[in-house]
Amino acid sequence: MKNRADLIIYWGGNPAECHPRHFTKYTIMQKGRFIPNGRKGRTMVLVDIRETPSAKAADVFLQVRPGKDFEVLTALRAVVKGQRVDAAAVADTGLSLDQLTDLANRMKACRFGVLFFGMGLSMTRGKHMNSAAALTLAAELNAFTKFVAMPMRGHGNVTGADVIMRYTTAFPFGVNLSRGYPRFNPGEFSTIDLLVRGDNDATLVLGADPGATMPQPAIRHLSQTPTIVLDPKVTHTSRLAKVHITTAATGITAPGTVYRMDEIPLPLKPPLVGPYPTDEDVMRRIREAAERKAHIAA
Amino acid sequence: MNLTVVKNATCTFCGCVCDDIELHADGTRITETKGACILGQSWFKNHTAEHLYPDALIDGKEATVDEAVEAAADILHAAHLPVVYGLSNTTCEAQREAVHLAEVVGGVIDSHTSL
Repeated sequence: MKNRADLIIYWGGNPAECHPRHFTKYTIMQKGRFIPNGRKGRTMVLVDIRETPSAKAADVFLQVRPGKDFEVLTALRAVVKGQRVDAAAVADTGLSLDQLTDLANRMKACRFGVLFFGMGLSMTRGKHMNSAAALTLAAELNAFTKFVAMPMRGHGNVTGADVIMRYTTAFPFGVNLSRGYPRFNPGEFSTIDLLVRGDNDATLVLGADPGATMPQPAIRHLSQTPTIVLDPKVTHTSRLAKVHITTAATGITAPGTVYRMDEIPLPLKPPLVGPYPTDEDVMRRIREAAERKAHIAA
Repeated sequence: MNLTVVKNATCTFCGCVCDDIELHADGTRITETKGACILGQSWFKNHTAEHLYPDALIDGKEATVDEAVEAAADILHAAHLPVVYGLSNTTCEAQREAVHLAEVVGGVIDSHTSL
């Protein structure tokens, strides 16, 4: 990316405020082996529903009507393939057919394109379908040039969770192990859907605070069923939980490994020694205790 | 007071995971974060080595870690469909343990990715 990407697209994300060093450390500002002129050698496109501070950094800003990302992506895929697209249908998305054609031409003409997609795409109307459309678009562009897509990860080591679950269960998230083998179905086995439907009867929360971020029906289910929280602080979720265990803070008092969003594993170098056990230690102890109970029951 | 300087420290606040931060710590708190962005600064300075929170809570009352571990295992063992969720702000080593735990208790394992 640093060495080759001459077209960088951010879709539904605001790196200037949410990933402040993304531009300078990884993408547009870097001079790369095949991009010797740095910023001048790259084109940046921003697609979003509003003009965020990231728009200042962009060469092209495309403002999509809220909830129309899937339609834009689908029309764009058709334009890329040279299929006939109805201009009136495109206008409903907030963009014109000319804008889409220009973007499609840039995508096909670049040497190496990257599509970063943020939560403005993956967490709004369409959700998993939007992410799938973005990934399909990037895959199809490989008929013309080299193109990749990558989610802009918000939270520290969420990429590590994808990697670990992939190599242990073959699926990246929302894996149901209740039958003794892994089953994957986003929308069915994803936490928020389980909680809102009230399908699960206990929750262990590690390295997250759904009590502060999830919709009300999900939070209500967390408080009505037994919830266990491991966190360096007493969080919103801890307050509605049955059990809270304070653990060492990742990278500050706890050592270990974390993945960068491009799946490079990095070691942590904690500068402090704290009084609390690590997440790893507490999780292992809970698992060992659960194994003992299962053994006695059998 | 012992000043610790950690070069090329890794920041885990956002998905960028910058690994070129220089941290100065005095044994209790981080006093300087060279190279960190505004989000990274507040992340590093927001945590200390002090004992600010109880080791564990059960039904809001202070408990030992041993008691809380037992209570957690009881809950997960008794549940028909437990969910292990989150996994963002933690290490890969803990994530591996989380997958193992979900397998042992026959539950769902899920991260922020599904949001």
